[in-house]
Amino acid sequence: MAAAPVTDRLLDQFVTALTRRKASCEVVARADAARAGARWIADRGVVRAVLADDPVIQGIGLPDALRAAGVDPIMWPTSLGRREQLGLEGPDDVCGVTAPALAVAERGTVVLEAAPGHGRAIDVASRHHLAVLPADRIVETLGEALARTYAPGRAAPSAVSLVSGPSRSSDIEKISTLGAHGALTEHVIIVL
Amino acid sequence: MTRPRRGTSTVAYGDVTGTLRERTVEALRDPTLAANLRTAGESWGEARDHMRSEYGLDDMRARARDIRRGNIRRLPELLTELQSNVRANGGVVVRAADGVEACRYIVGLARERGAHVVAKSKSMATEEIKLNEALQGAGLEVVETDLGEWILQLAGQHPSHIIAPAVHLNRDQVAALFREEAGRDDIPSDREALVAHARMRLREKFAAAEIGISGVNIAVASTGTVCIVENEGNARLVTALPRVHVAVMGMERVVADWDEAAHLLQVLPMAAIGQDAANYVNLITGPRREGEQDGPDEFHLVIVDGGRGALRGTEFEEALSCIRCGACLYSCPMWRTVGGQAYGSPYSGPIGAVITPLLEGPSSPGSRDLPFMSSLCGACHEACPVGIPLHDLLVRARARASSPGTRVAGVAFRGWSLLWRHPITYRLSTAMGRLLLRIRGRDGWVRSLPGPARNWTDQRDIPTRWPPRR
Amino acid sequence: MRTCLADAIAPSVWKCARRALARAGVDVRVPRGQTCCGQPAWTAGHPDHARAVARHTLKVFAGTDEVVVPSGSCAAMIVHAYPEMFAGEPEEEAARDLASRTLEFTQFLARHGLDPRPRAAGSVTYHDSCHMLRVLDEKDSPREALANVPGAELVEMERTDQCCGFGGVFSLDFPELSGRLGEEKARAAAATGADELVACDLSCLLHIAGRAHRTGVPVRVRHIAEVLGS
Repeated sequence: MAAAPVTDRLLDQFVTALTRRKASCEVVARADAARAGARWIADRGVVRAVLADDPVIQGIGLPDALRAAGVDPIMWPTSLGRREQLGLEGPDDVCGVTAPALAVAERGTVVLEAAPGHGRAIDVASRHHLAVLPADRIVETLGEALARTYAPGRAAPSAVSLVSGPSRSSDIEKISTLGAHGALTEHVIIVL
Repeated sequence: MTRPRRGTSTVAYGDVTGTLRERTVEALRDPTLAANLRTAGESWGEARDHMRSEYGLDDMRARARDIRRGNIRRLPELLTELQSNVRANGGVVVRAADGVEACRYIVGLARERGAHVVAKSKSMATEEIKLNEALQGAGLEVVETDLGEWILQLAGQHPSHIIAPAVHLNRDQVAALFREEAGRDDIPSDREALVAHARMRLREKFAAAEIGISGVNIAVASTGTVCIVENEGNARLVTALPRVHVAVMGMERVVADWDEAAHLLQVLPMAAIGQDAANYVNLITGPRREGEQDGPDEFHLVIVDGGRGALRGTEFEEALSCIRCGACLYSCPMWRTVGGQAYGSPYSGPIGAVITPLLEGPSSPGSRDLPFMSSLCGACHEACPVGIPLHDLLVRARARASSPGTRVAGVAFRGWSLLWRHPITYRLSTAMGRLLLRIRGRDGWVRSLPGPARNWTDQRDIPTRWPPRR
Repeated sequence: MRTCLADAIAPSVWKCARRALARAGVDVRVPRGQTCCGQPAWTAGHPDHARAVARHTLKVFAGTDEVVVPSGSCAAMIVHAYPEMFAGEPEEEAARDLASRTLEFTQFLARHGLDPRPRAAGSVTYHDSCHMLRVLDEKDSPREALANVPGAELVEMERTDQCCGFGGVFSLDFPELSGRLGEEKARAAAATGADELVACDLSCLLHIAGRAHRTGVPVRVRHIAEVLGS
């Protein structure tokens, strides 16, 4: 999936767009990524995190960093039932940790692909969402991202979720309110 | 809820009463409705203008229009390709000729799977085919999980807008509904508390549902993928947690490839909500793959014709380009004044006024007046991101309409055309018109006229001199 | 073109248009035998009857120079709808020809850089009638013409581009809704404090003025031709 290293322009564009979408982010060196992620999660007051079992997440050492920060990391696939996943039983302040396959700079979108190691609803079932994104996965346009995702000869993933900021609802008096169903927060650790 | 007084059409809502005109008059009497619609329309207008000035929405319209026209021209082959690719990825495809067939399939499926609870995300197509009623009739609990749709379900009402269905209710009205549903008095009326309450109540349903039913915004033929666009996240949960996912789509909602899909997925939120992206876009290709722990075991795509196919090759073909963004509703002075429920149909606003009678038939009492409830101002055409000439389609729809009223008008216009194609009878009739005004005028104004002209003077005076005196 | 509405209720509109054009040095002919463009029947969904009347209009204006119409909706009818109305008919060529040389009154002035040397006026507010704005795609020519009226100050109202609610047969089929929109427009005009409301369409003005008078909203109206050719 990885291509050319990200340019400053593309990175700036992505950060600006994420902010516009009411997500937060930080750009870190690889060595600092796990610590940054664990700190953000612990700061939410979260005690449990559900992590996609993905080389990026394992590679930066996030599970250990979480344990050190007092957060229980549960790797996907979990043994949690639906009710626990949704926060109806057990702690409801859970953070879902994803590893986007791509990100779209002009829209502030992260692209999540379902896979055996990556549940399709990890972020949206949880109250908080942390995404660990290598910077060279950022492309500029939605068109590019979709062309890569569905490139000829590549098996189409069962589910791809384009996530552009925390969940919103505008149904009550047509004024945007955060967090109807999906994650209330979104934070992207952009790994250089 | 009261029963309909006339018509048993397949599209009109079951609890619609009175004539279209009566419903508009009733809507005009409601100041809350007017205030809510004005707020909604104006905030949309500002957001949309921002899209035009900062994000180049206008430049994207021409391409969007061409994409959709191409899709409709190639519809049969695109649907064949879509079907083939959905099946190749382990999905089931059903081509339903009409709503009855579609409901029969889905109810049958629910029975076979022994389902008790169905979780739904927003879908205009399922409103059109009255799927909820069919499932409830078979003893299933059906829960709308889109916040606005759930609110309306509790209120026993139908949506007033394609994108923001509960736009006509305020927070106090919503709090009252939530309290009644939960059997509790302690739910506060502030927006955050209301949303938090809904979140937990609806999570119970996501956990319990055996079947998830969604709509489809666009389907991509080249990979057999359905795209579902939303802001809340409920469609993601509906399509991730239940064992069975049924997606219902109108047959016209297919595009050829990802190039086209990317363009439309950008245009849709810009036109619909004045934003450059929706929060979540879910791209689903068949059921979960081996080794995936979440996601449905089964994926069923139900493609509904319901009268759409018959529009291809006619003067109404362009109506099939619609991507159901709701922009025409927000821009329409009629919709902005009386709201969507007055239309008495799942599809309201200009697009609804065009397609409802087309899908129901030109003599259907439930919908034949709809094309006349428009001043033909053209704001809809201006707002439409795929360039549908709705104002022209409304005129064509009027020519097709058939009712006692249109037959009377036909006789009147025949007489009119006989008089007004000859200068002498024309001049005579206009002179008589001026004379009539003079005779009936007092202080320079006519306040009432007899017969069909009463409809004019019921609302307005007519000046007997021009420019009018004060 | 005089327009049927002017013939029926307000002949001063076309007479002022003629005077304005004459003052600007234009040689104006007003064919006596003209009737109506056919719009009322066309938009009401009776195209055959509309065509019967429109055929006469094609004959009256066959082979003439540019046709000037003091009405956005009538001009739009000819320019936009006549080609569709006569597609596949023997008059198709004639219809396209007429459509190509028909202009709304202020558009004609702007295209030829004409000065009608109007008399002075007070402050005005201008209503963008739907056919002018969206079918003819024209919001500048009336404003330019008003800018050249001595003393006239243009005060834009809120939502100047929202429909006044007339809409042809709509005004009779849904009178209450039509009336509500007309009242909103009248109030928006009155709120500007301008001396008068001006528009390029007599139909809009009749509807707005009539509703204003019924509901007691103080609005004085004139057709733009009357401002430019008084």
